[in-house]
Amino acid sequence: MRSVGQIKPVAAYLLAGLIMIYASYSMPRLLPGDFVTAMYSSSHVTLTADQEKEIRAYYSRQEGFGHYLSDLLTFNWGYSYAFLTPINDLILEALPWTLLLMGGAHVIAMLFGFIAGVETAWRRGGCLEKAGVGSMTVLEGMPEIATGVALLLIFALNLGWFPASGAETAYAVHSPMAWARDLARHLVLPLSSLVLAYFPGNFLLTRGSMIMVLREQFVQTARAKGLPPARVRYAHAARNALLPMVTRFGLRIAFMVTGALVVETIYSYPGLGTLLFNAIAVRDLPLIQGIVLFSSLMVLFVNLALEYVYGWIDPRVSHAS
Amino acid sequence: MKRSMIKLHYVFIIAVFFVYSIAGTAAPQPREIRIADSRGDWGYPDPYRHYPRGPGYVRMIWVFDTLIWKDQNGYIPALAETWSFDAGRQAFTFNLNPKAKWHDGRPLTSEDVVFTLEYFKRHPYRWITVDNVSRAEAIGPHKVIIYLAKAYSPFLSDIGGTMPVLPKHIWEPVENPASFNDPKTFIGSGPFMFRDFNKAKGTYLYEAFPEYYQGRPRADRLIYVRSGKPLVSLANGEVDLANIKPEMADPLKQKGMVIIKDERGWNKKLMINHKKLPFDDKRFRQAIAYAVNQQEIIVKSHRGFATPASYGLLSIDHEMYNPGTSTYAYNPEKAVHLIESLGYRKGAGGHFVKDGQPLKVELLSSNITVAGESVADRDGEVIKKQLESIGIQVDLVNMEQATTDSRIKNWDFDLAVSGHGGICGDARILNEMISSHYGAGSVNSARYDANPELNRLMEDQMLEMDQDKRKAIVFKIQEIYAEDVPAISLYYPDSMAAYNPDKGIQWFYTRGGISKGIPIPQNKMSLIK
Repeated sequence: MRSVGQIKPVAAYLLAGLIMIYASYSMPRLLPGDFVTAMYSSSHVTLTADQEKEIRAYYSRQEGFGHYLSDLLTFNWGYSYAFLTPINDLILEALPWTLLLMGGAHVIAMLFGFIAGVETAWRRGGCLEKAGVGSMTVLEGMPEIATGVALLLIFALNLGWFPASGAETAYAVHSPMAWARDLARHLVLPLSSLVLAYFPGNFLLTRGSMIMVLREQFVQTARAKGLPPARVRYAHAARNALLPMVTRFGLRIAFMVTGALVVETIYSYPGLGTLLFNAIAVRDLPLIQGIVLFSSLMVLFVNLALEYVYGWIDPRVSHAS
Repeated sequence: MKRSMIKLHYVFIIAVFFVYSIAGTAAPQPREIRIADSRGDWGYPDPYRHYPRGPGYVRMIWVFDTLIWKDQNGYIPALAETWSFDAGRQAFTFNLNPKAKWHDGRPLTSEDVVFTLEYFKRHPYRWITVDNVSRAEAIGPHKVIIYLAKAYSPFLSDIGGTMPVLPKHIWEPVENPASFNDPKTFIGSGPFMFRDFNKAKGTYLYEAFPEYYQGRPRADRLIYVRSGKPLVSLANGEVDLANIKPEMADPLKQKGMVIIKDERGWNKKLMINHKKLPFDDKRFRQAIAYAVNQQEIIVKSHRGFATPASYGLLSIDHEMYNPGTSTYAYNPEKAVHLIESLGYRKGAGGHFVKDGQPLKVELLSSNITVAGESVADRDGEVIKKQLESIGIQVDLVNMEQATTDSRIKNWDFDLAVSGHGGICGDARILNEMISSHYGAGSVNSARYDANPELNRLMEDQMLEMDQDKRKAIVFKIQEIYAEDVPAISLYYPDSMAAYNPDKGIQWFYTRGGISKGIPIPQNKMSLIK
């Protein structure tokens, strides 16, 4: 019976995956505009009616969903109209940069948000808590585009401390150490923009959860037993306040592509967000399909992974299921 | 143990993201030029794989040379040292520079030029048309004669100054050039050799061709980098050349940058769906022209950094600009009078009504891409207010450019704010931006064929090889176009770039734009002479 119980969610995820593949196939086709119009209509190449017809016929070849599905299963994700390159290669080229930026921002924002949330909840009613909640509520309301542009203007334009764009100095000849330094310099501003966007939410969520957990009897018991305060906070209370944070972390990671789009575009960071932005601008249908599908499958995969992580963090979840 | 782990985290994060980051950057490469571009990706720099936009062509033309070229003053020798036109034989003769070589060391000869023309006939390079060339003949290794099938006045601009010459020994066996994916496709005769294009990062690397026939380039490496804010990259020293907004000219000057300004070769236009009521009536279009205040748009939307445009389409800086072209100085009373002459009357709320139907139009607006940069403005809002002030109800719809383009292309619009360059280049631009015969594929073309005289004049100017006679025809085209107003040219935005003079390079804007009118200050002569 247990094995059947394990199979059911997997089957549900497979079905959801199939629906997402269909969505990634059909949704980009609903976008107004097309590649030929986006690429040629405002260009210096003024096509005659015959030339346009010929090009449009080439790029309008329709492949059915069955064909698309069989290609996907054989890891043939198509060929970008604009880049003239396989989609797989383009995604794999951009993915590490997005992982570095988004992964780094999430880990930092989660780690510090969690610690700050736990500590302020423990010191509830103090000046530190009031100031923290007030400032984080304000910061939570600021969009990434605002913090991104503000950091760019202050630290790149006015102070000139950090580069304004890219992930590294293009074609510079570096020692490995200098290269790492160069990467870090380029990462500081986009990473800070994202950390400033994610940190307040993590802080407020953890604080809220902790306040609820600190009222529980098992925490009172732990205190009454005379355990060190740090152990009560983290081993007993914080572990139980972690579940909503994990959910948030999972969802944020799942929406990595769309989350990164704004900041990657501001800083010309060469990740999946920039790739998607450029693909949409020229209506590069195969590339849009590929990135949307990759992003959708990531949502599924992370959700599936979370089901198991929940059980590991809080055994009550496994027992309940 | 746990405390020490937490400390370790702190040390790691501080080390990676702050200490290293403040510690400085790599030493700059000697004789290296870096150019910022907000988009980055413009395709591979070979004739069949670069994007059909100005920046794509410029990426390619560092590698491939043309027969002639342009600088600030006009045409100059390139692969051809001298050239002449024989009207009797309808033939151009080009004498090639004997020092010209391909990047693989083989000599460039007249056979390569003949081959290029024949190859482009079989496999069209869409940037140019070689339909008007009947044949080309190699007279010895360094002389080539190109015979025209019929007179073709834009020959020097379109073919002489735009057509990249291909190496015969590389391309001859290639049957499908668009999918010819081989490092050999980048063997050209230009001043720089292509080395890398990183698609994800939007970066390009070129290296100087030391045996270039016009002398070794003044930079060893030429690098394009993608920057969301090119101006910021220039200001903090990441790049040496970038397009800038006009209001940033003074602050950048104070930082020691040199500011250069382009001629007025790009115009913002109000596209009109002249196939639809009431826009199909010339008087209604003229009323719109009278109702639109060019100067107010410039002041409110561009803080004064623009010049009112000629209604005849060609730039006021063009050598064939007709100063006698009709104008529509802001005159709302005249606009109202013209609309009333079409049977409209002011109804409740001061809006025009005819047969019980209100006069309501939709105005499409979007951020237009100029020289590769997406530019935001408030043109749509200002025009909406101007039209509403005379009694036309306007529904302003802001969309991204590709969607707007698609709707214009399919005639699914009333009015739309659009724009294009090339109006300082060859007068052929008039045909492309007016006639559907030439400009069917362009969303910026009015695709207006309703005036037979205009159609005839446009054909005539393509056949007239005498510049003075052609100028007279072009004058007349501008007059009729301004009279019929199938689209309204609004203004020429100030187009500026800034560069760091410390590298010893003097960048400039090309007279009439690079090739067919590309308004980008990246002329390869800046790095040669």
